[in-house]
Amino acid sequence: MKTDFLGLKMKNPIIVSAGPWNRDGKSIRKGIAAGAGAVITETIVSDALLDVRPRIAYNGQGAQNIRLYSDIQVEGWQREMDIAKSKEGIVIASVSAHTPSELAYLAMKMEKFGADAIELGISSPMGESLEVVASDAERVYEMTKEVVRNVKIPVIAKLSQNATNISKVAKAVKSAGGSGVSAINTIRCILGVDIDTMEPTLSTYGGYSGAPIRPLGLASVASIAQAVDIPICGIGGIENYKNVLEYIMLGASAVEIGTAVMINGFERITAITNDLEQWAEEKGVKEVKAIRGAALKHLKSFEEIKIEPVVSHIDTPFCNAACEACVKACVYGAIQKQEHKMILDSEKCTGCGLCTFVCPDKKFMLDW
Amino acid sequence: MTLAIDFMGLKLKNPIIVAAGPWSRNGEMLNKAILAGAGAVVTETIVNEVNIDVRPRVAYHNGGVQNIRLYSDILLEEWEREIDIAKSHDGIVIASICAQTSSEISYIAGKMEKVGVDAIELGLASPMGEGLEVMAASAEKIYEMTRKVVNSVDIPVMVKLSQNVTNMSKVACAVEKAGGSAISAIDTVRCILGVDIKGRKPYLATYGGYSGPPIKPLGLASVATIAQSTKLPVCGIGGIETYENVLEYLMLGASAIQMGTALMLNGFEHIEAVKGDLEAWMLENGIEDLSEIRGAALSEIKSFDEIQVEPKVSHLSDICQRNDCEKCVKGCVYEAISKAGCSVIVNEDKCRGCGLCCDVCPDRILELIWP
Amino acid sequence: MNIKEIAKKAGVSVATVSRVLNHPESVAPETKERILNVIEESEYTPNWFARGLNFNKTDTIGLLIPNILNPSYMEIAKGVEDVAHQKNYTTLLCNAENAVEKERKYVDSLQKRRVDGIVLVSSMLENEDVEGIKKQGIPVVLIGENKGDIKDVPIVRIDCEGAAYKAVRHLIDIGYKDIAIIYGTTPERENKRKIEGYIQALAEEGISEREEYIQEAANTIEGGYIAAKRLIDLKRRPRAIFTSSDLLAFGAIDAMKDHEIKVPEEVAFVGFDNIRMSNLIDPKLTTVEKPMHKMGVVGARLLFDIMDTKDEENNSREILLQSKLKIRKSCGHRERIGEIF
Repeated sequence: MKTDFLGLKMKNPIIVSAGPWNRDGKSIRKGIAAGAGAVITETIVSDALLDVRPRIAYNGQGAQNIRLYSDIQVEGWQREMDIAKSKEGIVIASVSAHTPSELAYLAMKMEKFGADAIELGISSPMGESLEVVASDAERVYEMTKEVVRNVKIPVIAKLSQNATNISKVAKAVKSAGGSGVSAINTIRCILGVDIDTMEPTLSTYGGYSGAPIRPLGLASVASIAQAVDIPICGIGGIENYKNVLEYIMLGASAVEIGTAVMINGFERITAITNDLEQWAEEKGVKEVKAIRGAALKHLKSFEEIKIEPVVSHIDTPFCNAACEACVKACVYGAIQKQEHKMILDSEKCTGCGLCTFVCPDKKFMLDW
Repeated sequence: MTLAIDFMGLKLKNPIIVAAGPWSRNGEMLNKAILAGAGAVVTETIVNEVNIDVRPRVAYHNGGVQNIRLYSDILLEEWEREIDIAKSHDGIVIASICAQTSSEISYIAGKMEKVGVDAIELGLASPMGEGLEVMAASAEKIYEMTRKVVNSVDIPVMVKLSQNVTNMSKVACAVEKAGGSAISAIDTVRCILGVDIKGRKPYLATYGGYSGPPIKPLGLASVATIAQSTKLPVCGIGGIETYENVLEYLMLGASAIQMGTALMLNGFEHIEAVKGDLEAWMLENGIEDLSEIRGAALSEIKSFDEIQVEPKVSHLSDICQRNDCEKCVKGCVYEAISKAGCSVIVNEDKCRGCGLCCDVCPDRILELIWP
Repeated sequence: MNIKEIAKKAGVSVATVSRVLNHPESVAPETKERILNVIEESEYTPNWFARGLNFNKTDTIGLLIPNILNPSYMEIAKGVEDVAHQKNYTTLLCNAENAVEKERKYVDSLQKRRVDGIVLVSSMLENEDVEGIKKQGIPVVLIGENKGDIKDVPIVRIDCEGAAYKAVRHLIDIGYKDIAIIYGTTPERENKRKIEGYIQALAEEGISEREEYIQEAANTIEGGYIAAKRLIDLKRRPRAIFTSSDLLAFGAIDAMKDHEIKVPEEVAFVGFDNIRMSNLIDPKLTTVEKPMHKMGVVGARLLFDIMDTKDEENNSREILLQSKLKIRKSCGHRERIGEIF
C-alpha cells in the first residue's frame, strides 16, 4: 500500500519512530530491512547526555520511558547516516533544541549528512517541566519557520497531546511552511507506584506510550485532520495492521511505530506490513489516499448526531458462558441472566451501548 | 486502625468516593452506592438545561472506556427529591455541577446547597461538546468560576481538573487562590477509542472522554503535579480498580479517591471488595491511619538533575523455567540478552541498564544491579 | 412544637417538612414517612391559617414575548413552560408584538387574573410599569435586555456585544474586510449592543466602519430581504454580512439567491440565535448560539425562587449565560480551529 508523504514516495505507510531502537546506523538498517517505509533516527541534540538507569518501565499494556535523547554527538551521526543510507531506504532525522537557531543548525547538519526529511522533536515530556515547546503555537511557529528557511528537505513537527489545543499548533506549523505534522509524542505520566517501597516505578515523570494511548492519538490526529489541511503522520499505540488503518481512516497519510518494536523487535514491522498488504489486496486498495480520512465524516458534533430510540437487542436469548459482564455493566439494570436465559428489559434500557462492547461473544446489538 | 479520613472538613468513613457518572444519576443509585459502603458519593453532573442522550454513548475496548454522555437528565427542581432519597440513610453527598458562566454556576451551586448536599464539585473539565478547549484549561476562567461559587455557598467547593491542558499546575494554583477547598483530578481525557475498520467509522459518533486503567498513569502524574504545586487536598481520579491503585494515588499525595468506570463495569459491590483489601493491607503493614502514607512517594520523584546516574546492568536473579519465552530477548533493543532454551545470558558490556527486561519478564527474574 | 423543631427532630430542612405538608408527592417515601412519624409523635398541627394563604394562589404565571412568529421566542417560552409544568403551574402566553401599549394591556390583564408571577422577554416596559406590578405583590423576572431602565428585578441575559464581536472576529479571521451588518429594529437594546460588538471588531483590525454597511430592518425574514437588496445594490458590495438574528439572515440569503449571488462564495453570512431551522437551510447557517431554551428555564427558576422563598436577595440576581459561535457553512470557513466539536 503506497503512500506519498511529504513528497517522499514510500512503499508503505509504516515508519519506525524515533527511539533507542534507532540509536545508530546499524539499528536503522534493521528497520529498513524489516520492511519499513521509512525510519526516523533517535532524537539528536547539541549536547548528548548520560542515560539514567533504569529508564524504561512496562506494565503489560503501556510503557513509561525517561530516556532523553541520542547519546551520539551530531558529528558522530555523519558516520551513522552513511551506514543507515548505505542501501535503499528513507531516513528521517529527528532533532530537538530549545531555540530556533539551535534547532535550524542541527537540521542543516542532518540534511548535509543525507537525511531525507527532518522531524522536529519538540514535544518530549521529559525534563521539560510542564510546558513542552509543542504546546505553544507561537514558539512552534518560530521554530518551524527557522528550520524551513534553512533546509530544502521536508520538515515535520512532532506534536504533543499535552497541549490545550493541538489543532492550533498544527495550524502554526502549516503557516510556518512546515510540510507536515506527526502526532502524538509520548504523554507526561507516572506509570505506577510500588506500594511496598512507596516509590514511583521510575524516578521522575516520563513519557507514556503503547496501546493505552492509542485513543488519545486517534483523537489528536482526527482533530488536526478536521481542522487543518496538512499531511499527518499518526503515532501512538500502534500494535497491528488494524491500528494502522484506524489512523489512516481518521486522516493520517503515514504512521509511526515505536513501543511495539521495542517490546517485540523489528519482526513486528515485517508482520504489520505483510498484514497490511494482504488487507489492501483483498480490498483492492492500492494507495493510502484511497481510504485516508474515510471515517472522518462519521465524526460529528453533538448537534449533528441523530438521536435514535435504539435499545439493546439479542438474537438468541441463550448464553451458556459463565460470564456476567453484561449484567454487571448495565448501570440501568436492564439485563438479567437466569440460568442460561438472557432477559432484556427494553423499558429500562436507555441504549448506552456498553453491553455491545463488554460481551466477549458480541451477542448484543443496538436496534430500533 | 481506621479507614476514616478528613476531607475538606467532611468526615468520610473511608477514602472511596463514587465519581460523577450515570451510575450516580438519581437518588436511588446514590443511596445504593452509600449502602454499598462508599465514603461519599458525587451526583451525576447537574446542569440548568437537560439534554437528550445520544445512543450509543459508551464503548469499551482493551480495558478502556469512551463515553459521550453529557450531563444529568434530571431537572434541577427534581434533584431536591433525589437528594432526599440519596440521604435517606445518611451518607455524604457531593453535587457535581456544570455551567458556562460564573453567575450561572454559582446559582446552581446555591440551589444544591439549599437542597442539602454536603459539598460541591465543579465539573468544568468534561471533554464532551466543549470543543478542544475545556473550561478547566484556562486558569483565569477557573479562578473566576471558583471564586464566585466559593463566595456564594458555605459548603466546601472542590474543582475537577482536566489532563487536556498545557499546564495543570497553573490551573491548580488558580483554584487555591480562588479559595477552593480541594481539587479532584483527572476528568476523562478527550479520545476516540477506536475505528471499526469494516464500517470505516469510529466506535462512537463524536470525540468523547477516555476512562479506565489505561489513563491511570496520566491521573497519577497529574495528582503528583498538583500535590507538588499546591497545599490543597487532592481527590485522585483515573483508572482505579484495586486497593493497590488507591494506595498509588494516596502515596502520590491524594487524600481521597474517586471510582467510576470500575463501578460501571463491576457494580457497586466492587467498593466493599476494595475496602476490605485496603483494610487487610493496613493491618499487615501496621498502618493506623491513611494520613501516614499520604504523599510518601512524592519525595522519590526527582528532576533529571537530581537523579544519580548509576552504572547498573541487568542480572538474572533466578533460573528461567520457560523454554519458549523470548520476551527478554525481543524486548532488549540493545541486543544484550541471548537465550537458548532456558539458559539466559546477559551481555553486561552491551547492556545499557534501561530496565525494560525486568518488566517484560513474566517471572520477573531479571533485575538491575551494580556490576 | 413548631415546624422548625419538627425539621430538626426529623433531621431534614424546614423546606422538606413544608413540602411533606403541601406537596407530599415530591418527597422521597422514606423521608416522608419519617417526618410524618415525628409529626404524629409531637402532635404538631400545621398552621392552617398560614397555609390558607396558599388559597390566594392561582398557580398560574404570565409570560410576555415580543413576537410569536419568531421561533427564538418560542424556544424561550418552552423553557419557561418546562419549569412551570414541573411546579404544577399553568403558563399564560401573551404576544406583545413589539408594541409597548399591547404589552401594558396584557400586563394589566394578567394582574387582574391574579397570576402568581410574570416573566417579561425583551420587554419594552418602563421602570414604573414594573414597579406597579411589583406593588401588587406579583414578582417579575426579565429575560433578555429590556428597553427601559428596569431596576431591582432579576434578569437572565447574554453578552450581546461580546457575542457579536466574536462573530465578526470570525469573519475577519477568515479573511473578509468588507463586512456589513443587518440589525433588527427590535429588540432595541440588544441590537444596539450587537452593533457595538461589530464596530469594535472592525476597529481592532483598523477597518473603519462604512455607514452604508450598517443596515436597519424589521426583525423578520422580509426585513432581511429588503435590507440585503440595499446592500446588493451598493457599488462596493460587502463580502460578508452579519445579521442580528437568524430570521434576518434567512431573508438576506433568499435575496442573494434571487440575484444569483452565491453564498458563501460571493457573500458570506453569520447569523444570531441558532434557531433550529438555521441548521436545515442551504447552506447551513453559521450563527451565534443564543441559549434560548436555557434562558427560559433559568428565568422561570428565578421567578419561582422569589415566589417560593420571598427572599430579598433574589430580587437583584443577574445570571449571564454563555453564547457560542456555531461554525457551519455559510461563513465560508475552511478551518475549524478551536471548534472541533
